[in-house]
Amino acid sequence: MEHRWGMAIDLDRCTGCEACVAACHAENNLPLSDPDQAAKGRAVHWIRVDRYYEGEFPDVRLKYMPVLCQHCDDAPCEPVCPVYATYQNHEGLNVQVYNRCVGTRYCGNNCPYSVRFFNFFAPHWPEPLPLQHNPDVAVRMGGVMEKCTFCIQRIQRGKRDAATEGRRVADGEIQPACAQSCPPEAITFGDLNDKDSKVSRLAASGRATRLLEDLGTKPKVFYLQRAK
Amino acid sequence: MATTLPATACDQVRDDIWRPMRGASPAYVAAVAATALLVAWGLFCWGYQIGHGIGVAGIRRPTMWAFYIVNFVFWIGISHAGTLISAILRLTDAGWRKPVTRVAEAITVFALMIGALFPLIHLGRVWLFYWLIPYPNQRLLWPNFRSPLVWDLTAIFTYLTGSIIYLYLPLIPDLAQLAAHTDGWRRSLYRALSLGWTGSDRQWHALERAMKLMAGIILAVAVSVHTVVSWDFAMALAPMWHSTIFGPYFVTGAIFSGIAALLVVMAVIRKMMRLEAYLEPRHFDNLAKLLLLMCLLWLYFTIAENLTVWYGNAAAEMSVFAARTRGRYAVLFWTMVALNFAVPFVLLGIRRLRTIASATISGLSVLVGMWLERYLIVVPTLSMPHLPAAWGSYSPTWVEVSITVATFAAMALLYLIFSKLFPIIAIWEYRHVSDG
Amino acid sequence: MYLTAEFPDAETAAAAITALRGRGLHPAAMDLFSTTPIELAPGVLDRPSRMSLAAVAGAVALCLLTVGFVYFTQHHYPLVTGGMPLFSFWATGVVFFEMTMLGAIATTFLMFLWESGLLRRRAIGPVPTVEPGSIWLRVDCQTPQVAEAGECLYHAGATKVERLK
Repeated sequence: MEHRWGMAIDLDRCTGCEACVAACHAENNLPLSDPDQAAKGRAVHWIRVDRYYEGEFPDVRLKYMPVLCQHCDDAPCEPVCPVYATYQNHEGLNVQVYNRCVGTRYCGNNCPYSVRFFNFFAPHWPEPLPLQHNPDVAVRMGGVMEKCTFCIQRIQRGKRDAATEGRRVADGEIQPACAQSCPPEAITFGDLNDKDSKVSRLAASGRATRLLEDLGTKPKVFYLQRAK
Repeated sequence: MATTLPATACDQVRDDIWRPMRGASPAYVAAVAATALLVAWGLFCWGYQIGHGIGVAGIRRPTMWAFYIVNFVFWIGISHAGTLISAILRLTDAGWRKPVTRVAEAITVFALMIGALFPLIHLGRVWLFYWLIPYPNQRLLWPNFRSPLVWDLTAIFTYLTGSIIYLYLPLIPDLAQLAAHTDGWRRSLYRALSLGWTGSDRQWHALERAMKLMAGIILAVAVSVHTVVSWDFAMALAPMWHSTIFGPYFVTGAIFSGIAALLVVMAVIRKMMRLEAYLEPRHFDNLAKLLLLMCLLWLYFTIAENLTVWYGNAAAEMSVFAARTRGRYAVLFWTMVALNFAVPFVLLGIRRLRTIASATISGLSVLVGMWLERYLIVVPTLSMPHLPAAWGSYSPTWVEVSITVATFAAMALLYLIFSKLFPIIAIWEYRHVSDG
Repeated sequence: MYLTAEFPDAETAAAAITALRGRGLHPAAMDLFSTTPIELAPGVLDRPSRMSLAAVAGAVALCLLTVGFVYFTQHHYPLVTGGMPLFSFWATGVVFFEMTMLGAIATTFLMFLWESGLLRRRAIGPVPTVEPGSIWLRVDCQTPQVAEAGECLYHAGATKVERLK
């Protein structure tokens, strides 16, 4: 059976440390930006931690929500791309084809989660940072869109290794950089088609919700939180 | 029974309309030089943007569309001038439109050409724009016909083709006359373009039949074009974009801005080319009344859109609504309402105030107001998406402002060249006076 | 042999045409030249036209071609976007409409070129120089009928009649 990759993020475990953000930067060759460009809204963070403050002082509660590409089943970003630079592959991933993107940025406007990023300039890294680049991940050029890929390079490697050994991918074997680096293990990644996988069980639990569910995008990232 | 003007009057008509095409006054040369300079500067800015990256413009996350798309919608809207005057008034047999048709049709063609440039200017990798065009290729890839941007491409291509043909067809008899009365390079140009027109009744029948068909077709296409452009926004899930009203709203706004542009261009041409006898006060009066009508229609749609959003009180939409009416964009919003409604309503609604001058002022006011309206549709929604953590702002840079100014100069330049090469009033149509 | 006759207005030209047709001359042999379109009463000099029919046919043709093309391309390299079906009429209906209109536009223009006789290489006969306000009628008739036709034209009200080869 085909894989169907999904993710569960436990908001009750998330401490807002942003290790996932740093790991994603390192793993996926994310472009750097300077304070000037960041102030102009050009910073790129495929996964970001949104902070929500509830209540008045001294009863302030802080909620952290890591937001990344939800890899929606009915992704609104896909049908609006005029050149098919983004579409859903057979494993449920919303893939972004950098070489095909002409940069209309319609997908970025249509994503209700605002998880798509555009390379307004050609990415650059001051020396010696290019030595740190991940050779498994393409370095994008200026003028193309990019976003979280569920670390598709790790998925490909995991599937390839398993196929070499003649077995199916085991649950927990493939971990995107964010899931791998999360200290309280708030992020779980796996195959939603495998009913016994950890992510499937978490997604079926009573604490599972989805972000902006009423928009009908059918996201595959489940946020676990105590129901109010 | 149709009649024609007596011969002596015809020659006067021909002389008056051909005179501006001869020679080049110092004012004309200065205007061409100034606009050409601005256009060159705009092209340089575009080249700079291509070389250094879109980042030299003010576009950012989350406002990934801004000035360029605003201009795109604005210019495509202006292009509805020709359709209204030429097609609708031709179909309703309104005789007063005759001196105005070519002015309007030329505005349409040039506005379309400029408007169609902006989707290219806003592309991240413009050198690959041709991937939106279906052509067989090695990778076996085709464009995504489900995308509103590909709909845009087909709609604007069809409209541009139709508008050029619609401008060209009634030009043929005038070109044949010109070819007979000029020499040198002009004669060769006109002779080639007139395709051997002799004025036989077969040709006239074919021309009139084609014009009648084209008027109906162009009307349908024009309505669809601006509807499709509006659907670039309406098909998106963004707050205050995903609204069913966008189709008719944009078409109304387009006709509104088109008439405004026509009034301004007519006023300039009337003065500069000394066509006071042909572009009479009644033409401005009729167009002013049409502008007033569109102003009221625009107000109706604006109220309908904003009222339903406010009453519905959906969270994401209310944030955008509040920013537009009371918050960051309030100054622009209420200026827009004043320019689009208050100014034309007062100046054109009160009969004593309705003059050529006030009609022109109203036209200018509406042009600015409609540009602001497009800005207020695009930017506030994008700056306040569904998730508040992603809210941002926008401000243009010198690149975007330069390119915007350059396109206005380009319109002026194209018009200056057109008016020097071709008669700005369709002489044969003007002569063909119908009773009633 | 061509006869060209100048008329001061449309009524006299119409009378001349009717008279000539009464003498057995075919409408195809007659051409009216003017600098503005002349409207004659129906039946005087009708030119049958297929333009409307052709425009509809062209529109339908390009519509069907487009539907077929879109269907083919979306199945040839199937890519799922947004959970939409591969070929969806509603998602691509706009493209069909625009191409239908383009078909109508292109056919209308081509039919105009065809029916007007512009761009045709074959000799069209001598063309009288038309100035604003005058109407010229050119008649292509056999040499024996020339005198009779000329008399007919003068009788109808022509101000000038010339013979041209």
